[in-house]
Amino acid sequence: MPEFGEQLERLEAIVRKLEAEELDLDEALKLFEEGIERLRAAREQLTQAEGKVKKALKGDSSGR
Amino acid sequence: MGAPLDLFAAASSEGAWTVSEVTRRARAVIEAGLPPLWVRGEVTGFKAWRSGHWYFSLRDKFSQIRCVMFRDDNRRLPSPPPEGTEVFAFARPGVYEAKGEFSLTVKELLSTEQGGLWKLAFEKAKAALLKDGLLDPARKRRLPPFPRRIAVVTSPDGAALRDIEAIITRRWPIAELVLVAAKVQGEGAEASVCAALARLGKGKLDVDLAIVGRGGGSAEDLWTFNSERVARAVAAVPVPVISAVGHETDVTLCDLVADLRAATPSAAAEAATPDRVDVLAFLGQLGERLARGLSQRAQRTVDRLDRTGDRLAGAMQFRLEQSRALLTAHSARLDALSPLKVLARGYAVARDEKGRVLKQVKQLPAGRDFKLRVTDGEVDARVR
Repeated sequence: MPEFGEQLERLEAIVRKLEAEELDLDEALKLFEEGIERLRAAREQLTQAEGKVKKALKGDSSGR
Repeated sequence: MGAPLDLFAAASSEGAWTVSEVTRRARAVIEAGLPPLWVRGEVTGFKAWRSGHWYFSLRDKFSQIRCVMFRDDNRRLPSPPPEGTEVFAFARPGVYEAKGEFSLTVKELLSTEQGGLWKLAFEKAKAALLKDGLLDPARKRRLPPFPRRIAVVTSPDGAALRDIEAIITRRWPIAELVLVAAKVQGEGAEASVCAALARLGKGKLDVDLAIVGRGGGSAEDLWTFNSERVARAVAAVPVPVISAVGHETDVTLCDLVADLRAATPSAAAEAATPDRVDVLAFLGQLGERLARGLSQRAQRTVDRLDRTGDRLAGAMQFRLEQSRALLTAHSARLDALSPLKVLARGYAVARDEKGRVLKQVKQLPAGRDFKLRVTDGEVDARVR
């Protein structure tokens, strides 16, 4: 799954393109479908995520 | 002439004092006669030994005294006093018997300048950081709007970690927190925090943001974050750093170098993350714009079809009217040729009951019934 930030960036680009540009109806439909899919994925990411602390590393090397 | 010299006064049994006896006696006299006191003087000949003890002299225009400040006492100080600094020393006068040396055992040391040694060391380190461009506002990096992995450099069992975790879990749970444990106060804290910060640069952690800090503490406890070494380590971190040293009033060097200063670890966590609720609302707006975008695009197609239809209808209308005019012209000509016109001029047509035209005399014997068509109708007639 793409990173949330990238997902959102692409989504915004799609919306702007759809709003501003004179596209083929076909192309517009394709963009719309992609946008809807990304929107769904982004929502899912946000609503299903669990915050977690990864204790990736132990204390400092001095061992104190 | 005074009293005769008493060669035996206060002498020991051997007839002369030993060196040790003199120094011990001197020490007793001095310690009894000079209780711990504040001394003011200028630091000179400073030397810090590997043991951690400091040796220096305090002097004024006319005299100087040897001083020692033991490690347990100097550890709380932000830095050694620079050569030539005028200080107040709280000290216990005594005699170092091994060398027969009069000296002060310094328990506390304050700069006579405003704010004391702390301030002095802070300003000195700050000036050094400034000189190296580390305090340049242009250095401040923008925080990632949607952080993915956040390193937290703090004590694993401090309140700071719990606060940060609670807030990020609520606001932005898709972020991962990576605890990089460090000792944030006491002996070795400076080295520990520096080592933890250096880990962030190693890439394996793959974080896009770091929070470094601790909960509140006394000025002395916060000293770790006023260390020039820690400040430089913060500046060297390759991702944006939020400093959260947990002190509303004191701005530390770490705060100054960091990309963002937060007053508390909680505030740092808030600054680090967007609120999920807001982002969901924004996603909703994007969804609406997406739908509107498409429907507007579709509407443009419909409009174009309508316009085409209108032009078609317009064209049809024109053709229709043309045809109608033509028809009128034709019908006028037709009209001119119509037999009814002949009738109108006074002619009449005779037809039998079957509608056949009776054109000859022989078709009209006497007594024959026929129909006579005149211009405005038909009448029945009979030949006489």
